[in-house]
Amino acid sequence: MIRAIKLILLFARVSVQNIAAYRFEMIMRSIMSVLHLGAELVGVWTIFKNTQSLQGWGVPHMLVLVGVYRIIAGGIRMSIVPNMRRVFDDIRDGTLDFVLLKPVNSQFLVSIREFIVWRIADVILGAAVAVVGCVMLLGRVPPGPAAVFVVMLAAGFAIVYAVWLILATLCFWFVRIQNIEMIFWNVFEAGRFPIVIYRPWVQWVLTFIVPLAFITTFPAGVLFGDSTMVPRATPLLAVLVAVVLLVISNRFWRFGLRHYSGASG
Amino acid sequence: MMRVLRAFAAYHRAGVQTMFQYRAEIVLWAIWGLVNPAVLYAMWSSAAESNPDHTAAGFSRGEFAAYYFVLMIVGHLAAAWDAYEMGYLIRTGQLSSLLLRPLLPIWKAIADNLSYKVATLLFVVPMWFVFAWVVRPEFKAAWWQLGLGAVALVFGAILNFMLGYLVSLVAFWATKLDAMGEVYFGLGMFLGGRFAPLEALPRPVYWIAACLPFRWMFAFPSELLMGRTATVAEAVAGLAIQAAWILGVIAAFKVCWAVALKHYTAVSG
Amino acid sequence: MAQIEVNQLCKTFRVPEREGGFRASLRSLWRRTYRDVRAVDHVSFTVEEGEIVGFLGPNGAGKTTTLKMLSGLLHPTSGEARVLGSVPWRREADYLRRMSMLMGQRSQLVWDLPAMDSFLVQAAVYGIPKDVYQKTLNELIELLDIGGVLKKQVRTLSLGERMKCEICISLLHRPAVLFLDEPTIGVDITMQARIREFIANYNRRHGATIILTSHYMADVTALCKRIIVIDHGRLLFDGALSELSARLAPFKVITIDLDHEVDGYDFAAMGHLLTRADRKVVIRVPKGQAAAITTRLLSDLPVLDLNIQDPPIEDVIARAFGERRGEGEMGARAAEAAGQLEEIGFPNPEGLGHPEALSHPDTVSHPDDGFSAGMDDRGSQP
Repeated sequence: MIRAIKLILLFARVSVQNIAAYRFEMIMRSIMSVLHLGAELVGVWTIFKNTQSLQGWGVPHMLVLVGVYRIIAGGIRMSIVPNMRRVFDDIRDGTLDFVLLKPVNSQFLVSIREFIVWRIADVILGAAVAVVGCVMLLGRVPPGPAAVFVVMLAAGFAIVYAVWLILATLCFWFVRIQNIEMIFWNVFEAGRFPIVIYRPWVQWVLTFIVPLAFITTFPAGVLFGDSTMVPRATPLLAVLVAVVLLVISNRFWRFGLRHYSGASG
Repeated sequence: MMRVLRAFAAYHRAGVQTMFQYRAEIVLWAIWGLVNPAVLYAMWSSAAESNPDHTAAGFSRGEFAAYYFVLMIVGHLAAAWDAYEMGYLIRTGQLSSLLLRPLLPIWKAIADNLSYKVATLLFVVPMWFVFAWVVRPEFKAAWWQLGLGAVALVFGAILNFMLGYLVSLVAFWATKLDAMGEVYFGLGMFLGGRFAPLEALPRPVYWIAACLPFRWMFAFPSELLMGRTATVAEAVAGLAIQAAWILGVIAAFKVCWAVALKHYTAVSG
Repeated sequence: MAQIEVNQLCKTFRVPEREGGFRASLRSLWRRTYRDVRAVDHVSFTVEEGEIVGFLGPNGAGKTTTLKMLSGLLHPTSGEARVLGSVPWRREADYLRRMSMLMGQRSQLVWDLPAMDSFLVQAAVYGIPKDVYQKTLNELIELLDIGGVLKKQVRTLSLGERMKCEICISLLHRPAVLFLDEPTIGVDITMQARIREFIANYNRRHGATIILTSHYMADVTALCKRIIVIDHGRLLFDGALSELSARLAPFKVITIDLDHEVDGYDFAAMGHLLTRADRKVVIRVPKGQAAAITTRLLSDLPVLDLNIQDPPIEDVIARAFGERRGEGEMGARAAEAAGQLEEIGFPNPEGLGHPEALSHPDTVSHPDDGFSAGMDDRGSQP
C-alpha cells in the first residue's frame, strides 16, 4: 500500500518535470481553458436570453452545471486522458509489453503513469463558477450539500475512470482505432445540459445504461440541497454505481490482458 | 488541368479505400455530427417549451427540429478539419513528402475530405432519417429554396474548407499551435449558427457573427434549406456573399501559401 | 540445474487476410478472412545457468515470439516452459523481478526526460533498495561508459547512447535471466562491438543466463558458443557454432593467389567458382574433396599462396534458408504474415485527415530486413 502511494507520487513528480519542458504549450492550454469557459458562459447567456428556465433549471443552476462539467473535464484531462491515451499508444506500438514485464499490477501502473498537473486550472475555474452559481441562488454555499457535492464529484470521476478503462481495454481487440475515445466525448457532450431536457426514455438511458446523469447533472443538482431536483437517495446510488463500474472495468481489463497474451478463456 | 484531375481522382479512390479500412474510426468521427445537433435540439426545444408561447428566438419546437435536422446534414457535408492537420503533417515530416509531388498538397486534402464524406454516407444517411422520425421537424421549404439551398451548401463547404486551410497555415510558423483548430472550430460553433440559430444570439455576438464568414458556412444554407429565407432576392444575395468570401479567401490563400512555403523551405524543408 | 526448460512449445496466430484493390476493400467491410500461422512449432530446448545462447533465424521465424513466451508476455497455444522454476505466463511478481527483456526496436525510456529519471522510476517500480541501486548503477555506468549522457534528454541522444541506456535500465534490478531481442539493431559497428563486449563481460561477472536474438552474425559469433536456429517456427538446429557450419554446409573455401595470369583453366570443373579477378581465385569445394582438389590446383597452376577455410557463417545460413525459402510461395507468404505479427498495428497512412487533433506521431518501427540484406551483399558485412 505504501509502495503504491510512493509510486503514484513518483510518477506525478516525474510528470511535473516533464511538462515544465513545454512551457509554451502550458500557457496556450491555460488560455484555451479560459476561452472554453468563456464560450460556455456565452452559451448560458444565449440560452437565458431566450427563456427563463430549462425545465426548472435557471441561470444559477446552469452555472453550477457548467462548473461541474469543467471540474470533471479538467480532472479527466489531468489524469485519465493522458494515461488512457498512452495505453492506446502502447497497445498499438507494442510497448505495453514493458508494462507487463514489470512486477506491479498492470491496471494500477497504466493508470498512474501520466499526470498533467496544470490542468488543475480547469478544476479551479470550474469550482469557482459552481460557487458563483450556488451563491447566486442561495446567498451562500451550504456546508452539508457541499460535502455531498464533493462525494458525488468523486463518484462521478470514478465512473468516468471506469468507462475510460473499458474503452482502453477495447483497444486490445480494435488495435488500430486511434480515436476510440470519441465514444466518451460524444456522450459526455450530452452532459453539458441537465438530463431533464431530454425525453423520458433518453433520460432513463442516460441514468441507468450510460450513467451520464451521475457524472454531471446529479452532482450539480445536489449542491442546491433541493430534493425535488435530485432525490435524496442519489448520493448512495452514485457510490454504488461507481463501485459496480470499477469492478466491471477491472474484470474486463484482466480479460483483455488474457486475450492480448493469447491465454485461452 | 487533366493531370490534376486524374491525380485528384486517384487520391480520392485511394482515400475512400483507406477510409474503408478505418471504418470504425470514421464512424466515430461521424457520430459527433449526429450527437451535437441532437443534444442542442433537445436543449432548445426544452427552452421553447418553458416559454409561455412555446417559442424561443422566434422558433417553435418544430422549427428547431427542422433547423437542427438540416444543420446536421449541412454540418456533415460542409465539414473540414485541416485546421487541425497541418501542424501534425509538419511535425511528422509528411508535409515534406507531399511537397515533393508535382501537385499542391491542398488537392490531397480536398480528396481526403470528399473521401470521408462519401465513405460515411452509408452510415449517416439512415441516422438522419432516424433523427427526423424521432423529432418530427416542421418544414416549409419551397422547391426554389431547396435548389438554392443545395448550392449554398456546396458554397458553404468550400468556404469552410478554404478558410480552415488558410488558418492552418499558421502551423508553418508555430507547429505546436494545435489550439488553432480548436479556436477555429469554436468560432464556427457560435458564429456559424450551430450552437444556436443566429437570431437567438445576444446582440453583440450577433453583430460579430454578421460580419464574419462563419454564418455563411452553416447558418445561411440551413436557413435556406428549411425554408426560412423569405425571398429569392435574399437567397441570391446570400449566395453572392458566399461567393465573394470564397474568392477573397482563395486570394488570401494564394498569397499566404507562397509565404508559408518560402518560410518552410528556408527553415526545415 | 537447468534455468530455462522449454518443452514442445507452440504458438499459432490468426491473421486477417487482405487483398489489394477497390473491390476487395469494399468486401472487407462485411467479410473478413483469416489464416492460421504457426509462429512457433513444437520447440524444445534447455539452457543452463550462465549460458549465452543465440537464436538465429530470418525475419518472422518465431524468435521473438518464443522470447515473448519465455518472458510471460504471450501464452503459448500448447507446450510447457519453466524459467527459474516459474511458469512465465503466470507472471508472478517474483519471476518478473528476476528476469529482464530488452527489445531493441522499442524503448522503455521516457522520451523527454534525462535517462537518470527513467532509472529512478525503474528502481521504484522494482523496489530496489537505495544502496543496492546506487552500487548497481555505478557499476553499469562504468561498464557501459554512459556517465556523460545520463543528464541529457533521451530524445537528444544518439542511437548508440540510447541503446546503452536501454541496456542499463534493463539491468538495474540485477536479473538472473536476460532476454535480448536484437540489442544492436541500427547501431554502428563500433558501438555493436562495445555492446557485445559489455554483454560478455556482464555474463562473466554475474553469471546471468542470456538468450540473444540478432540479425547480425557478428553478435552471434562473438558471444554465443551455442546456437539455436529457428525457421518457420521450427527448431532446425541446436548446438555449437562450429557444428552448424559442418552440418549445414560441408564445404571448404579455397583461396589461391597466382604468380601470373592463367587463361583457359576450367575452374568450374574443380568446384563452385566464387571469385575470379586478376590473379586471385576463390572456389568452394565439398569438404571431402578439398585435399584432392588442392593437390590438383597446386600441380596445375603457378600458385603463390593458398588458403583453405570454412565458408563464412552468413553463407552457411543463407544457403540453408535459401533452400528452405525455395519451398515456394507458401514459405514466403507465411514468413511475410509472421513478419506482420512482430509488429502490433500498422503505420498511419500518409496524411489521413480527421476532424479532431487526436493524431499521434507515428512511432511504429518497421521490421528490419538486416538479415537477408546482409546475405545478398556478401561484400559488406553489416
